[in-house]
Amino acid sequence: MRGGQPLVEVVRLGLVSYQEALRLQQVYVNRHRSCPAHALLLCEHPPVYTTGIRHKPYPEPLLDQLRLLGADVARANRGGLITFHGPGQLVCYPVLNLCSFKKSVRWYVDQLEQTVIALCGRFGIRATTSPHTGVWVGDNKICAIGIHCGRYITSHGLALNCCTDLSWFDHIVPCGIEGKGVTSLSAELRRHASVEEVVPHLLHAFTQQFDCQLTEAAQDGGESPTPVTSAGTSALTNLRDD
Amino acid sequence: MAACWLLRSLSSNFSTVLPLLARSASLSPLQLTSKPYFGRTLASSSRLSAALKFTDKHEWIRVEDGIGTVGISNFAQEALGDVVYCGLPEVGTQLAQQDEFGALESVKAASELYSPLTGEVVEINTLLADNPGLVNKSCYKDGWLMKMSISKPAELDSLMDEAAYERYIHSIED
Repeated sequence: MRGGQPLVEVVRLGLVSYQEALRLQQVYVNRHRSCPAHALLLCEHPPVYTTGIRHKPYPEPLLDQLRLLGADVARANRGGLITFHGPGQLVCYPVLNLCSFKKSVRWYVDQLEQTVIALCGRFGIRATTSPHTGVWVGDNKICAIGIHCGRYITSHGLALNCCTDLSWFDHIVPCGIEGKGVTSLSAELRRHASVEEVVPHLLHAFTQQFDCQLTEAAQDGGESPTPVTSAGTSALTNLRDD
Repeated sequence: MAACWLLRSLSSNFSTVLPLLARSASLSPLQLTSKPYFGRTLASSSRLSAALKFTDKHEWIRVEDGIGTVGISNFAQEALGDVVYCGLPEVGTQLAQQDEFGALESVKAASELYSPLTGEVVEINTLLADNPGLVNKSCYKDGWLMKMSISKPAELDSLMDEAAYERYIHSIED
């Protein structure tokens, strides 16, 4: 029964490794088993390339090349092909129970795209969708999207370039789409736009698009993230081994 | 010319068959048919839809000769969008009812698939590797995902028949 807006808890993780964020997402996914408890995880990652459930395009030798660049590499159970996460990129993992919204993965991805488009609009940037999932400014992708949905619980999410070092993307064909580039809010605005500056705008756009209310996570109780250490491990993570 | 030959060979068959019919005409009509007419019509006209059972996660299973063919419903394929990848289990995988057995990817979203019954994977639809869109185009037929043996037939009772599934969809669409 739908009465009133769903409540979504905002969880600010700061700089955490990709593996740590996966672990925390799982905690929040599991929490849904006892009661609908939507969460919006916000974080940044140290440099990491990630692939989705389509393994074939990315054999180990290719991934080793990427490790030699000094980035971590991880496989995830999300949709979408290869992408990069790093400092200056706002990564947002909504862990929602779609039963409280709309039980359609296609609708959900659409809503994420519209949220980011609205956010860009607040900065005066005209962003669009395209036949390729994600948010684009012309031929350049400003935000990548790749999600996982099991029993209507979502995980993974979106990665918005705020002031990311875009040269990391030179070493891959981002999301497997040839002939297109990447961009960031800073590149489009021609001024520095930090993740901190962008977060409130994302949260506002999210509440509007998903018609929900936000609440901040309590400081005590619940899971607290393990802070990232200086040298990230390059162990491969395969969620299917859980 | 070929047609003439065909007719001649057919008529020669009939000439051997006719005496048989003449002999059997003396038997009572009921003994001539193997099944009641009514029963045969029901089985042949509604075999596909009557045998389809559904889960609340929008998978369907059709059981024939002890083997269940599994796929996703039209409601599910519409909600997913264009399927670009099917992650299916290996033949021989043992599955309990509701175990996750794979995932479909569409619009950069990986959506899990859940086993309708307990059993073993005996075949997967290899056509989907090169043509994942079959899941959208023909979700009940060419877009089948896997076939499995059925360890606990009683579990079929816990699934919805087509009518119940239609009602279920209408209730969640509101």
